[in-house]
Amino acid sequence: MIRMLSRSLLAAFLILFISTSLNLFADPKAKQRTATEPSDTVSSDSYMGLTGEELWSNNCLRCHNIRPPTMYGNAQWDVIVHHMRLRANITGQEQRAIVEFLKSSK
Amino acid sequence: MKKIRHYYYLAAIIQGVFIIASPVARAQDPTTDGYVTRKEYEDLKAQLLAMKKELDAIKKEKATQTQENAQGQAIVESHKKVAPPESSQAQAGADTHKQVATEASPPVVEAEGSLLGTTKFLLAGWAEGMYEQRNGQVSTFSASFNPIFLWELTPKILFDSRLEIEPSGGGTNVNLVNAQISYLLNDYVALGVGEFFSPSNVFVERFEPQWINRLPDRPIGVYHGVLPNISVGAQVRGGFPIGPTRVDYAFYVSNGPTLSTFDARTAGTLDFNSYTDNNDNKAVGGRVGFLPVPGVEVGYGFETSKPGFQGTAFADVQALVQSVDLEITRNSDLLKGRINLFAQYAWSHVDHAVYDPDGSLGFGPLSLTAKRDGGYAEIAYRPTKLDIDLLRNLELIFRWDHLSPDPSGLGDPSETRWTLGLDYWLSPSTVVKAAYEWDKPNGERNRNALFFQTAIGF
Repeated sequence: MIRMLSRSLLAAFLILFISTSLNLFADPKAKQRTATEPSDTVSSDSYMGLTGEELWSNNCLRCHNIRPPTMYGNAQWDVIVHHMRLRANITGQEQRAIVEFLKSSK
Repeated sequence: MKKIRHYYYLAAIIQGVFIIASPVARAQDPTTDGYVTRKEYEDLKAQLLAMKKELDAIKKEKATQTQENAQGQAIVESHKKVAPPESSQAQAGADTHKQVATEASPPVVEAEGSLLGTTKFLLAGWAEGMYEQRNGQVSTFSASFNPIFLWELTPKILFDSRLEIEPSGGGTNVNLVNAQISYLLNDYVALGVGEFFSPSNVFVERFEPQWINRLPDRPIGVYHGVLPNISVGAQVRGGFPIGPTRVDYAFYVSNGPTLSTFDARTAGTLDFNSYTDNNDNKAVGGRVGFLPVPGVEVGYGFETSKPGFQGTAFADVQALVQSVDLEITRNSDLLKGRINLFAQYAWSHVDHAVYDPDGSLGFGPLSLTAKRDGGYAEIAYRPTKLDIDLLRNLELIFRWDHLSPDPSGLGDPSETRWTLGLDYWLSPSTVVKAAYEWDKPNGERNRNALFFQTAIGF
């Protein structure tokens, strides 16, 4: 059983290591571009090829019906998306893009 | 007589002269109220001019403040342009300038801001009411209120907690379901400590709220000793992209489960609802998910622990829980709607041990390697692309769930259930559900059930 556990842990960490490596070393120009561009383009830029609206729809619909942007105020959306980021394991970039979409859609 | 009439005429004329002349006389009287003298008029004019000058000065000062505020906003914008969004230092700088800009706001706005404060608090959650009629049991109504407290102290720090409040017997049960402080380290890593939903139990973490769970009841496999549901400890979690795909992860250490050793029926099972630790060993677990395309996720979860009480013969018994899960959400033009497919299956394994070795508990010695498994698969269809409201708000659900028998062979038998449900959505988070469940535990009479439930998320 210890062997099985070791293999499971090894596989998990291997996936994480490869994923992180690919993320860190892939497309350095993209990172440079992000660092010099104004932040207000974060939401309008596509993240993983998706806009803030698409990220909102894709991530929320994975579990539940999506609620209209007008249902909550800006400060409430900040808290809700923060909470959902932790629950759904979305990235910080996705979180910002979704929040900006929700605030701008009212 | 004629002379007297002349006196009357004279008196009338004099009286008329007095009546006409009296207002003029009053106006010329400096002591009469309601009229001003030339001197008073000049004084009032001087005061009015002074007030006008003062008002012009105030207007000028206000215009200067507005200009400064606009400059402050421009500074924030310029810093936003320089700062990369993922840089925590730049974010902190932008926050600082934002604070400066806020301070430069007009006095009224500033006063409102200071009243609201900088932290953000939100009361969310859900409530439900249900009717259940199960074969072999009395029918009953039930209800619960599940408030979720969310308190964002800063954009990086969040406290979240959920209570479960429900009537029970002659009173009300209040349970603390979770309470966690979390910190966003960067875009890809978040840290958490407290009582949290076990990441490997996807149902508990994502689908448990009754306005999200499409059926009135919950799968048996996720709550009965096969998968951990709540953990007390610390966790690290997050997600990151790999090209067009994404990986998410969550790893934790916790007090872990307790091994049942005193009851013949449950010997060898894991009790995940025991939140205080029974030994110095800590459970280690986690889940890794992979999203090859948006709307599709596959995951693997595990937890390893030593669940036996410290100082007993079970102290070194090792337990391992593993699970696989799948979540698919697809919009289909062909089917004119949305399809959700959720599935998870788990296996628990507890090392070989002898329970009640000296027979003092009345059922031993019982030697066994405790293995158990269970899971569910659920598919839901909602015709979201139809034009008819009545049909578009309907959702059809079908679920299969299963739990193997207690490992000792002396407890509950294996159980397999099939559930068919129909929901009507009154709003995105308000639903009315009806379901029928075919439930036939192995070797026992059926426990088929009829449910009606209303749930609201807020």
